[in-house]
Amino acid sequence: MDAALKRRLQDRFGAQLIAPIQQRHDETEIRIGAGDVPDVCRALHDEPAFGFILLADLAGVDTGDVMQVVYHLWSETTTDWLRVVADGLSREDPRVPSITFLWKGAEWMEREAYDMFGIAFEGNRDLRRIYMPPDYQSFPLRKDFFLPDDAARSPGAGVRHMEQSHAPTNARAATMIRKSRA
Amino acid sequence: MTTATPHVHPRQEVPSDDPRVQLDEAVGVFEPIPPYPPRTERESEFYTLGDGEMYINMGPQHPSTHGVLRIVLKLDGEQVVDLDPVLGYLHRGVEKLCENADYHHTIAYLDPLEYISSLFCEWPGVLAFEKLLDVEVPRRAEYIRVLSTELNRILSHSLFMGWMALDLGGLTPILWSFIERDEIAEMLAALTGQRLLFNYLRIGGVNGDLNHEFLSRLGDWMSRATHQIENNLGLLNQNEIFVRRMRGLGVLDKETAFRMAVTGPNLRASGVPLDFRRAHPYSVFTELEFDIPTRDEGDCLARYLVRIDEIKQSLRIIDQCLHNMPDGPIMAKLPRLLRPRPGRAYAAVEGPRGQYAAYVVSDGTDQPFRMRIHDPSFVHLQSVGVLMPGHLIADAMAVMASLDPIMGGVDK
Amino acid sequence: MARSFSRLTLAGKILFTIFPILLVLTGGLIVVIVVAGKPIVDFLATNIWLVRFVVAATAVLLMSVPSAFLIIYMEMKVIALMNLRIGPDRVGPFGSLLSVVHGLKVLMKEDFSPTGADRLVFTLAPIAVFMATIMSLLVLPFAPGLFGVDMNIGLLYLFAVSGLSVVGLLMAGWSSFNKYSLLGGLRSAAQVVSYEIPLTLSVVGLLLLAGTMSLNTISTNQAGWFTNWYVFQQPLGALIFFIAATAEANRTPFDLTEADSEIVAGFATEYSGMRFGFFFFAEYVNVFVVSGLIVTLFFGGWNAPFPWPWPIALNIDPGSMGLGLLFALLIVPPLLILALAAPFYVGRSTLPWWQALIIGFVLFNLLVVVAIGGWAFISWDWVAGLFWFLGKSYLFVFTFVWMRGTLPRVRIDQLMGFAWKWLLPASLLNLFVTAAALVVVHR
Repeated sequence: MDAALKRRLQDRFGAQLIAPIQQRHDETEIRIGAGDVPDVCRALHDEPAFGFILLADLAGVDTGDVMQVVYHLWSETTTDWLRVVADGLSREDPRVPSITFLWKGAEWMEREAYDMFGIAFEGNRDLRRIYMPPDYQSFPLRKDFFLPDDAARSPGAGVRHMEQSHAPTNARAATMIRKSRA
Repeated sequence: MTTATPHVHPRQEVPSDDPRVQLDEAVGVFEPIPPYPPRTERESEFYTLGDGEMYINMGPQHPSTHGVLRIVLKLDGEQVVDLDPVLGYLHRGVEKLCENADYHHTIAYLDPLEYISSLFCEWPGVLAFEKLLDVEVPRRAEYIRVLSTELNRILSHSLFMGWMALDLGGLTPILWSFIERDEIAEMLAALTGQRLLFNYLRIGGVNGDLNHEFLSRLGDWMSRATHQIENNLGLLNQNEIFVRRMRGLGVLDKETAFRMAVTGPNLRASGVPLDFRRAHPYSVFTELEFDIPTRDEGDCLARYLVRIDEIKQSLRIIDQCLHNMPDGPIMAKLPRLLRPRPGRAYAAVEGPRGQYAAYVVSDGTDQPFRMRIHDPSFVHLQSVGVLMPGHLIADAMAVMASLDPIMGGVDK
Repeated sequence: MARSFSRLTLAGKILFTIFPILLVLTGGLIVVIVVAGKPIVDFLATNIWLVRFVVAATAVLLMSVPSAFLIIYMEMKVIALMNLRIGPDRVGPFGSLLSVVHGLKVLMKEDFSPTGADRLVFTLAPIAVFMATIMSLLVLPFAPGLFGVDMNIGLLYLFAVSGLSVVGLLMAGWSSFNKYSLLGGLRSAAQVVSYEIPLTLSVVGLLLLAGTMSLNTISTNQAGWFTNWYVFQQPLGALIFFIAATAEANRTPFDLTEADSEIVAGFATEYSGMRFGFFFFAEYVNVFVVSGLIVTLFFGGWNAPFPWPWPIALNIDPGSMGLGLLFALLIVPPLLILALAAPFYVGRSTLPWWQALIIGFVLFNLLVVVAIGGWAFISWDWVAGLFWFLGKSYLFVFTFVWMRGTLPRVRIDQLMGFAWKWLLPASLLNLFVTAAALVVVHR
């Protein structure tokens, strides 16, 4: 709970925040739009007042209504973790500028977010699937993911009867997907 | 995007009367180069061969990759020019599984992530849940957590020591380190009931209290631990061949380390004294006295020596925990069915490989809405792409071993 | 008959199967000798090379196979004990029959060659490597009188022949159609070739002192007290030779050709079955040859560390004992057996008397073997020489195995750098100093 950090963030990024800064326990959370990500992250990284040099985590979240990309940053200047939520990505075509220009180590984390959610990181030189086979058709961690059809289209399906998936022909996506009120 | 163009794989149209013939024709001769056209810039850069270069596939089965990892190396003779790690062989969908499990059940899912240091995989998850539930963990439970996790750290580092030597060709140190590990595993089995995947931490505390067998084994081991570790290390630290092979190899400097989001002993070996137990204290680390071993060189030898020093610091911490162990309950009072308030929580701990973290999004039900696991081996494995080019194959394995990746964590 | 056969125990079945077959074979052999004995002997006398070949092949097999078996077992057991684990202990007492089982396993495995491999070269490679090793056994002097050929360029022949293994390794690496094998083969060729030079140069100083290249003569020159051994006159040469020999034999710390944490099994990745067995075998016989060579050149060969007046004649004339001999032969063995069995029977109360007698019998046999061996040791110089040679060789084999269990391996560029930048100048230095010293001494 670093009130000084909250003030500094409000002063610097007030225009780009799309929700009030929330603080709980030892985390400070700011929400910005997808397009503001490179500027905000560069400012947080470069400016000595903030100095968030360590990227702790990069995660994708599918809230059922929208998608989010959540960055966790650490700095020596504050005792809190900073959570930057790039909110408001559409579920049909989620796009976020990549932060690999700042942290090359984010490359694989962005690949994982792409693989699991389909979020396209513009500027990532290597945006391909990392866990799933390269020609897998769907994105597993999305809330509307269902299994049977996808395995059939992967190279893992063999030619013998037992190695193929025989999904029911009327298998359909889940009609009610789980949403988060968070 | 799930119901995108239903792409039927051409192989499905092959008739299947003689399965073996069909399979042979379908498989063909294995090529490490992907059959599809390269889709990203990096892929096309990698999969174009220069003059005199060749690809060699350190495949998922290999005597020295730390689990099932496939690395496609582009070699110029014996020198590595470029590499492309291919992951996913051990992907188990833990994050998705956690979304369909109760909060208590997720702890068992978190264990096999980095199976060598499984208590460190459980801890951030448990901490994040406790933040969501605003639970206060009793002091005795905190001390027991620190005690068992420091033992786990020693387990992990002794395995690292043995594995490092094995990748360089020494057959003996790994067996000696397994003697160490066996004693500690028996100790932890007396405490938690398990030798490898402990499943010991609970939301609000730990599973079982310290018992007589654990304490007697621990006391017995502590009395000879320092001497035993010194003996084991004598084989490696003063070995000219070992030191010469590791010195100056795979140097990771400070700026590159921060750029690659490296944490843990790899970062501390590059000169940055960042340890989340001091920098962002959790649990009872504010009350414990220990040093943070740091080295400046950033080469494989520095990473090795930092981990050795950490073993000694862990012994100090265990000593203090034993002396200062408070009385009290080992678990907070919680209802069986946990329904945290909707919200988000992030918790990170300092594990033997780096920062283990969990980001939990809760929607008010009894199952986590999103359980994101951050795992240091995943991040560190990217560094091999930066460190390996320019070295020989033998060094490539040494560099990878010194970064200490565990594929369970890399692939989740 | 079939029914009574099936009622026998296993031992009985074996006996009753083998015994008739042996009888038939013996009878057949007798018939052949009686009928066609003289023509066969005449044929062999005119083609004496055939006899020589058979005898030589038998001798080679007798020398190489048991030593390879012993070294394989020793390596596994000794490294296991160094690793604080037990090692093989199921097959035979303390696992000593392990090598036999390994040999059988290797013979029984499926012998295939990978798709795309060059079949002819793939098959010939292990033969080439094995041949190189076996040919070097020809000149190694095991004991006074116990050697293949006493060539006066014995050492040169040995170095020449051990270089043939490079060809075999390259053939193996190339023909396997596998990049790992290729890398392994190239690495090993580079390694063997670069260590040939310090190997040969370090011995030239010794040759200057000995004046001959014949290994037999070098061994005889080191007779007498152990201070005559060349290691005290050429310490640097001995050290360089030891290091270069380790590299030649592809042993740790120079075993990058089979570094199994990097390039799975090097040149032998695609080999299985008897072909792999050949490589395996050749490597261990090579270790024995190299140890034997170190012992011959620098550590006295088949000489004892002290001068021993061979032969010592025990003036026992059995004929003069007369009837006493008969009594001795009839009474002494049972008495000895009882004497040896008594401590066990008395010491362990649960031991049945017949088990104690069996233990006594076994110990009595051991005693007889030791006595006969001792008598042979002091009577014939070649028995003693063989004992000392093998003992010293196996000490060096143990050192090689010890190094394997302890040291990690070096990198290829460190290895080459070491050979060319350190060992080569050191061996040249050794040569110059020896030559200078000889000139000064002779003046």
